[in-house]
This record gives sequence, structure tokens and C-alpha cells, in this order.
Amino acid sequence: MRCVAVGLAAWLAVILAGCRLAPGHPPDPDSRPDQVLDFATLYDQNCAACHGRNGQNGPAIDLGNPEYQALIDDASLRKWIANGMPGTEMPAFAQSAGGMLTDAQVDVLVAGMRKAWRAQDAFAGAAPPAYAPAAAGNAGDAQRGQQTYQVRCAGCHKAGGEDIASSTYLSLVGGQALRSIIIAGRPDIGQPDWQHDAPGGKAVTPLSAQDVDDIVTYLGTLRSAATTTVSAQGGGK
Amino acid sequence: MPGMKRAAGRVYAWLERRLQLAAPVKDAVLHPVPRNTASWWYVFGSAAFTLLFLQIFTGILLALVYVPSAGEAWNSLNVLNHQIPLGWFLRALHGWGSNFMVAIVLIHMAQVFLFGAYKFPRELTWILGVFLLLMTLGMAFSGQVLRFDQDAYWGLGIGASIVSRVPWIGGGLVHLLLGGPIIAGATLSRFFTLHVFVIPGAMLLSAFLHVWMVLKLGINEWPMPGRLVSRATYVDQYNQLTHEDGLPFVPGAFWKDLVFSGAILAAVAVCAFVFGPYGPGGQPDPSIIQTVPKPDFFFLWIYTVLSYLPPAMETPFILIAPIAGIAILLALPFYASEGEKSWHRRPVAVLVVTTVAVCWAVLTQLGTTTPWSPHMSAWSSDPIPVSRLHALTPLARAGAVVLQAKQCRNCHSIGGLGGERGPALDDVATRMTMDQLRFKVVTGGGNMPAYGKNLSPPEIEALVTFLETLHPANEPPAYDPAQQQAIEAAQPSGSAP
Amino acid sequence: MSEQEPMHTNEAHETAPSHPAGNDDPSVVSRRWLLLKAGLALNGLVGLALAVPVLRYLLAPWRRDASYDSWVSLGSVDGFPIGETRLAFYKNPYAQSWDGATDNVACYVRRESAGQFRVFAINCAHLGCPVRWFPQSQLFMCPCHGGVYYADGSRASGPPERGLFTYDWKIVSGNLYIDAGQMPTLSNTAKLVQISNGKGDCSCQG
Repeated sequence: MRCVAVGLAAWLAVILAGCRLAPGHPPDPDSRPDQVLDFATLYDQNCAACHGRNGQNGPAIDLGNPEYQALIDDASLRKWIANGMPGTEMPAFAQSAGGMLTDAQVDVLVAGMRKAWRAQDAFAGAAPPAYAPAAAGNAGDAQRGQQTYQVRCAGCHKAGGEDIASSTYLSLVGGQALRSIIIAGRPDIGQPDWQHDAPGGKAVTPLSAQDVDDIVTYLGTLRSAATTTVSAQGGGK
Repeated sequence: MPGMKRAAGRVYAWLERRLQLAAPVKDAVLHPVPRNTASWWYVFGSAAFTLLFLQIFTGILLALVYVPSAGEAWNSLNVLNHQIPLGWFLRALHGWGSNFMVAIVLIHMAQVFLFGAYKFPRELTWILGVFLLLMTLGMAFSGQVLRFDQDAYWGLGIGASIVSRVPWIGGGLVHLLLGGPIIAGATLSRFFTLHVFVIPGAMLLSAFLHVWMVLKLGINEWPMPGRLVSRATYVDQYNQLTHEDGLPFVPGAFWKDLVFSGAILAAVAVCAFVFGPYGPGGQPDPSIIQTVPKPDFFFLWIYTVLSYLPPAMETPFILIAPIAGIAILLALPFYASEGEKSWHRRPVAVLVVTTVAVCWAVLTQLGTTTPWSPHMSAWSSDPIPVSRLHALTPLARAGAVVLQAKQCRNCHSIGGLGGERGPALDDVATRMTMDQLRFKVVTGGGNMPAYGKNLSPPEIEALVTFLETLHPANEPPAYDPAQQQAIEAAQPSGSAP
Repeated sequence: MSEQEPMHTNEAHETAPSHPAGNDDPSVVSRRWLLLKAGLALNGLVGLALAVPVLRYLLAPWRRDASYDSWVSLGSVDGFPIGETRLAFYKNPYAQSWDGATDNVACYVRRESAGQFRVFAINCAHLGCPVRWFPQSQLFMCPCHGGVYYADGSRASGPPERGLFTYDWKIVSGNLYIDAGQMPTLSNTAKLVQISNGKGDCSCQG
């Protein structure tokens, strides 16, 4: 009898005091998809597939690279997220551009990346070439770019599997994306930044802003040559 | 004390003088039942009856707060969950009570079928039971609608789409089902009426008639192989049995009913406490399209069937199968009203129950994982395993981006993440040559859309280059032997294209 | 003893019906029966008369499709870039104040050229679930049973037996209007049920 009484009292105590701790107590209702403003959730749902968890080891550029975060400004980052990056596979995420994210959510993504991955003095005192090319379009010299490419890049990116001067590859990667990778590198997969862009990653001098312009311009000429041939091939199929 | 007892006796006598219930109750309680029906196999019916009352009781309690309005129902459920003390527990009791009720009713039906209890003279008891099953399922579905969330909303849409397939009058039936042209306030109101007035009323009446017939016709005796039912002799045989080897219903058989019902109620309470209430999920706002509607547990099998039926068979199946199924259940006691009752001598009956149970379990299991549904956010949320990206060429890496950006992952998994509509891509290179991959991507086929118009040639090339890397380290990618031979034959001349 | 048996009482009733109160004057009895029949007939008549309004009330939602539909605006045509497919919302024209959010209806607008549109229902042609548009792969995908449609609405794969439902549209003073009002289903939008594997044209112009 006493056992029963004690059991009942315990049950009552649980009901009265601990009902919020009950395993079955329902979680808070889901917020509307357009009200989600948590960076981790938004990043994992929208970005992680291509840019990797924690901004690393994805097939697309590593957003978690402090050098990349230091290189790019807020406006550009927001622009690419909202409207997509022309010439690449980066899609537009803002509702105004046909995506599913509100402006507030895009802002949360930008701010969250800055907070998570921007480091103080990412370049260790060195001054990298600017994020955007000096002049509109690619003002570099393709001829000189080809020479610089041969010296600084072709050692690793020689013909064969690693070749990035291939028509197909360049059709999928825009000029700005190439530029970002040349400058900031991709530390997660061992690609050097502009200071070390040379065979074996052992450059004597960093690439100058002019060098970067030239290389991107040179690769751009390969791309435009490629798109014409590719579209001719594609028409035949 | 004796004074109180006397007073109670006087009150009883006063009531009994007017109600005159003692004699019929005594008849019902003491009527003899065959001794071997005082078995644990005979407790499911009474448990279903108990659960019906639990549902009515908890339903009335929930109705104290619930607002049957399309604009407010979802909010009122959240108030129940979060603001009313233990409102969530009452909701959970009602939800789990519903699950247990459907399960117990189905078990009861299977037991009655296997024990041949639907045979003469209990045909009508079975028929009422079939209607009770249908009403139980109707309550489960309308209850899901009253939990007015996204699943409820799109579940109604599925219901309307099914009804719309009825020839000629489909459109009118949709309007009747929804109470108007779209799922809206009128829809919720009519499902509230069904769930709270119409079906429970009909259910109570049917359940009482069902029990009435059990009392009047006697509990089905334990089936013995070789003891055949015949219209001419069954009643006498049954009466003889209850006299020679019977015992009063109370307490001989009834204590087991009581114990089992109590255990079921306790199980409902424990499930409610541990697992909590069902939903509600997201707001019933159809402008939120990021939703993956799914029916409740006992309707998952239908969801599975609807995804696997070939398109051409779907409408006939949807319209004919339910009617045929109900017709078979109703016709059963007339088709087999006499003869063998024991499952030992009814292999077809055992086979039918087993087959139905296995099919149901498999379909439900598939329904919980929904391998046919694309994962809508896999393309942007499921990363490719790092080991798969290790040491890729730039082109293959670009191909991996194409794979993600073009939503391939919504249907194809890699590393266990992604949709399951199409085959997993983890070792796709060992199954298909590069040419076959390219052909498949461009032309689609089977359940795959053709991507030829949706991808540029470089995208296809990069994608196929990446897919070609998806093979285990110790197993080379597939190749076309004929092509290989041709290349080798061409090599000496050095003019390979 | 045996009359206490449930079975037996039953049989007894069937075999030996007795009417102890039936030995009245036959003429009176037949008059009583006549009056009873008259009472039944009266109730039947009144019941029938009442059934008509009740049925009319119950069948009130059963109306012609056109009586629910009207033209609603999706906003300025400038909101829809040429060559793209965009999600658009409208308030269902047939609505009540207590509908809450349920009459916010979504649809997809594909602007094929400056003056050429195609407006798709959000509801999958299979069982009405909300399809999602993916501009990257130019496909509509359904989360329920995996129906997939091409950009022009034609069926690409999965269980649907036809392409996406479409709305009639028109442009009035720079605004896009669609003829909407009810949930699109096979019974109100399908003129033709045909399984097509997307030859670049929609088999389903409703």
C-alpha cells in the first residue's frame, strides 16, 4: 500500500513539476522556412554541398579560407550569393533572382561567414592583388599572361589530368573565380596562394597584380576560343 | 457503517425500481461462455471498445481548447502543446490512442478471421465490424486533417486528387469533399463535423450493436479442427457446449479483458509520455512550398502503393481496389458461412492473413523511407565525401560542382547522403563506361529525366569525368572491350582518332 | 433452463410470434392500422419535403467549375524576367475571412518571350503535392512520389500521367492575370490524359 502511495506521489510530482522535462514534451514549432535566421542552419542547407562543411573540402572554392575572406568584400560576397556568379555553376539564392532565400537570410550568410572564417591579418602583412581586376573586363595582356602561365603555373597544371588550360574546364569556371583561386589559393586541397604560385609552391617572388590580370586574361582567351568550338560540336549532336 | 450500507441499499432499490437494469445486466454478466474462450486471444475486441471510450474522452477534453477554423486551428494546437499545462499530454494520449485503436482493431479482425468467428450465425457481427474498421480508419484520417498542418493540407490535396479521378462526377465530388473549390475554412469545418459528430455517433451505435450481438449470439467457441459449422445444428451444439463446458462470462473470462484493457491504456499513456504528441508540423500555408508531405503511419502503405503503380494502372486501381476490398470483406461471411472454423484446416485463410501482413509491413517500411522521393535540398546541403574529392583533376572537380548544382544528388546518393530515387553513385564507374554515362545523362530513361537540353556540353563532359572517378580503389572503371580492342588494333598504325 | 440461452430466446421469437393485445374487435383493429399507416405516410411525405432543402444545402458546394473561377492578378509583367520561371502568389478569389493562410496560392510563371507566358499550377498532376522548380537543372520536382517535369511543364519521369496543369492567362494594362479559383485536379483541368515523355512541348494545355 505504501509503495503504491509513494509511486502515485512520484507520478504526481513528475506531472506537476517536470512535465516540461518529459521526453514527450513537444519541441517548439518549426519556424517558416523564410524566417530561419541561424547561420549554421542556412549554411548547411544551402552552401555545404558545394563549398564543404565548415567552408572546406568541397568541390567549389573553400569559403573557410581566411585569405579568401580577407580578399573579398561584403558587397561582392552578397552579390554572388544573391544573384549567382555568371560563367560558373554558382546559382542565385535570393528570392528576387528566383532563389529561395530572403534578403535578410543572405545578410545572415554574409555576416556568418565573416564571423566564422575571417582572421586578423590573414595575409601576414603582405599586400595581395585586389579582388577585382583593376579595369573593367580583363585588362591584362594575354601574351604576357601565357608566358607567366608557362613559368608559374604549367609546372603543375601541365597537359593531361591537371591541365586547367583545357577548353572544357574553362567553360565552367569564370574569370573572377580563377582570379580568386590564383590569389587566395585553396589551402584545403593544397593549392598555393599568389605568394607561392610556382612549381612546387616555392615561388621566389609573389605574383604581381599585373601577372594575375595577365593570366586570367590569357585563360579567358582560351575559354572564348573553346566556347565557339564546343558550341559547334554541340550543334552536331 | 451498517447504517450507510442500509442507506446505499435504499438508494439502489429506488434506482432499480425505476431503471430496472438489474435483470438484463445480470443476464449479460452471468451468461455462460465456452470455457476455452476465456483466453488471451479473446481480449482484443474489448480493448478496442475501451480505446473507443478513451478517444471520446480525450477528444472531448481537446475540444475544450481546439478551434475548428482554418485560420486558428494550428495556433490553438500550439497553445495546447505549449501553454496549457499538460495539453501536450492530452494531445499525445489522443494521438497514441488512435494508433493503438487502429492496431487493435486490425488485430481483432485478423483474430476473428482466423478463428472463423464470422461464420453462422455471426455474419452481421462481422459486417458491422467491417464498418467499424472503416470508421476507425475514417477517424484516423479526419483526425490527421484536424491537426491542421502542412501534412494535413497536402494530405487533403492528395485526397482531392484521388477523388477527382472518379469519372464524370469527379469534379463535383472534389467540391463536396473540400466544401468549395480549394482546401480552406470550409474543408476543415466539414472534417471537424465528420470527426466529432458524424463518425463517432455512427461508431458508438455500431459498437453497441456489435457488442449486443456478441452477448445475444454468444462468444465464438474455440475452433476445433473437424468441428464443422452447419446452419441446422450449430445453435444446439453451441448451447450444449456452453452448458457442459462453460463458465459465467464474469469473472471467468472478463478478468482477462479487464487486465488487457488496463495494460493497453497504460501502454498508451507511456507512449504519450515518452514520444509526445504528433505535430503539428509547419503552418498550413500553401505558399510555403518547402514541404515534404507525408501521411500518418497507418496510411503510409497507400502512399507507397501510389508511388509504385504504373501511371496507366493508377486511376483504375485507385477507384476499383478499395471498393473491391470492402466488397470482399462484406461478402466473406456469406461466401463461407458454414464449414471449418479452425485455422489448422484453412490454409488459404492463414496464407491470406500472412500475405496481407507481410505486404503491409513491407509497404509501410518503404513508406517510412520513401526511396522514391527526391530529397529537395540534397543538392545544396549534402556534401560529397572528402575522400571522393581527394586528388581530383580540376575538370573532375568542376564535374563534382556540376553534379551538385544540377540537382543530381536529389535523386542519387553518394556516401549514403542524397535521394534514393536513382541508384547510388558511389561506384557508378564500375557499372557504366564513360560513353554509357554520357548517353544516360543526355537521354535519361527509366525514371531519369533527359538532361541533354539542360546541360551544356562542357558541363556534361565535366560531370562524366567526375562520375568516371567514382569507383573503389581496387576496382577499375568499366570499359567497353570492343572499343578497347579497336584502340589496340589501331595502335600499331598510330592513327587512333 | 434453455430459454435463458441467448440463442434460444432468439429462435423462440422467430418461431412463436404472439400478439396478446391483438384480440380486439377486427374492425377497430383495422382502423387503428389504417391510422398508423396514415401517420407513417404523413411522416414520409414531410420527410421527403424536408429532404429536398437538406440535400440542396448539402450539395451547395457542387457547382460548375466556371462559377468558382475568376481573373486574378499576379502583378506587373515586369516582375517576370524573360526566359525564367518564377514562383508567384495570389489570393484565391473564392475565399472566406476565416480561411487563414489557406487561400494564399502559389503558381509558377514562365515568361517565354516578351508577350508569351505559361502559368503552371503548383500542384503535381499526380496527386497534387507542391512541385519545386530548380532553375539550375531546369526541372520541376515533386517531393511526394518523385514526379519530374521539364521547364515547359511536360512530364519527364515518375508517376504523373501528364504534364503540369496550366492556367489560362492574359495581360491587361501591363499586369499578368490568370483564370484561377480552384485547386487544379484531373477533373477540372485535364482535357487530355496522355502519357508523353516530354518532346519539348506540353501535352497538357488546359
